[in-house]
Amino acid sequence: MKSLIELKGVSKTYGAGVSAVHAFGPVSLDIAEGEFISFLGPSGCGKSTLMLMIAGLLEVSEGAIRLGGADVCGPQTDIGIMFQDNTLVPWRSVRGNVELQLEMRGISIESQRDHVTSLLKSVALEDFASRFPFELSGGMQQRAAFCQAMVHDPKIVLLDEPLGKLDAMTREHIRADLQRLWMKTRPTVVFVTHSIEEAVQLSSKVAVITPRPGRIETVINIDLPFPRDLAIKGSAEFTGHVRHIQEIFHGYGVI
Amino acid sequence: MAMASSNHETLLERLWRWVAQSWMFIAFFIGFFLFWELSISVFNVPLYILTPPSMIVIKASADLPRLFSYAYITGLETVLGYIVAIVIALPLGLAIAFSSILRKTIYPFFVMIEMVPKIAFAPLFISWLGFGLLPKVIIVFLVCFFPIVLNAILAFNSLSEELQRFSRSTGAGTWRTFVKIRLPAALPQCFVGFKYAGLNATVGAAIAEFIGSDEGLGFYIQITTGNMRPELAFAGIFFLTAIGLILFGIITLAERLLIPWHISVRRPQI
Repeated sequence: MKSLIELKGVSKTYGAGVSAVHAFGPVSLDIAEGEFISFLGPSGCGKSTLMLMIAGLLEVSEGAIRLGGADVCGPQTDIGIMFQDNTLVPWRSVRGNVELQLEMRGISIESQRDHVTSLLKSVALEDFASRFPFELSGGMQQRAAFCQAMVHDPKIVLLDEPLGKLDAMTREHIRADLQRLWMKTRPTVVFVTHSIEEAVQLSSKVAVITPRPGRIETVINIDLPFPRDLAIKGSAEFTGHVRHIQEIFHGYGVI
Repeated sequence: MAMASSNHETLLERLWRWVAQSWMFIAFFIGFFLFWELSISVFNVPLYILTPPSMIVIKASADLPRLFSYAYITGLETVLGYIVAIVIALPLGLAIAFSSILRKTIYPFFVMIEMVPKIAFAPLFISWLGFGLLPKVIIVFLVCFFPIVLNAILAFNSLSEELQRFSRSTGAGTWRTFVKIRLPAALPQCFVGFKYAGLNATVGAAIAEFIGSDEGLGFYIQITTGNMRPELAFAGIFFLTAIGLILFGIITLAERLLIPWHISVRRPQI
């Protein structure tokens, strides 16, 4: 498989001179097409910063990022992004919010009507299409936000702790939804998280990121079959990966 | 079935529920006017100082034509000043929010002027422009303009970082981003300014009329007070209040229609 996302010596420094703060990197990494890679690290390690730099929403201080062979300089418009706080707007219904992504891109919503319907159906929101975000639970809001981020069928999807604000049970449930969605079209996903188990369950690869200034300590292949259900999560291999990563963070004094 | 009946209660049931919930306030309200009515005779208050509410109603109804024609004049000053303030302040607020030059020049100037009590300019405008409609409209405008413009600047400047990033990631142009995201996101804060200005508009009109006019409710209140007719002054105050309430009602209605999704407008769901 060829590399879709290439990071070459990427680092981020805020400010300049003596007051400069070295926030992240340098990091080099190749992400293959169809990969589900997690950036796993403690808060403040710069993993969200890296995601924003891949999206072209934040400039790199040094190094270069390439998507599909083209240098990233400026916001990338052919990707899907989900931020820590979802971007559902309160004045639109669930369907209207998904359509917002299309309208902003000048895509006719008439032609996509069925597509939006089936997308909402795939996350069990078809009966809530005309509801407003404030009428939904946190988990339903995040599922609607997934649809908003995916409706234009991006080849690359960047997810910044999309489940971070949910309770543990909802989180577990939506992880499964997310995995099912990913398996359908296999986009390349960059998933930012600080949950070890979440990273191991969802990813084909886990990039373990050290505390600030973040660097990639190691990239672990998670060679387990998808979908990863309860049986797989109970397997010795799964728990072995979790244990291995816990030891790495323990070594850094994070846990 | 029990659910359905609680959702579709009749008008009478609703009225009864309101009375049951707020009977203490209703009792206080009635008690207040009863106390007023009775204390005039009990404490021998001279009628040129204060009249009982019943007399206010009787005397005012004899003077209704004048009250209505003056209410029209004061209402016109209030509404014109308010509308002109919105028409100028909203685009200006938008321009200041998006222009770094304006933000460094006009904005601090406005913040400075906001500290000045606008009503203090009223005598000057009357002396420059005379007793007519124009100086009153200008004074109402001055009172309304600053809350609207400052809230508009705040409104257009406070789009969340996430939504800004989302907009950029879609590649949408400035206009499309404005229409689909920035404008609807800014409306609730704009309405904070509209409401505050609406509450102050009649104050501006009344004070402008106190200072120099030969018609309007402010003039009426001043003249009747001078003639030892407090019952008519109270009638004038009542009409002035009514103008303020109608204006505020219209603003609130517009808010419900334009931003029904906002937390300040929507009712609790369950």
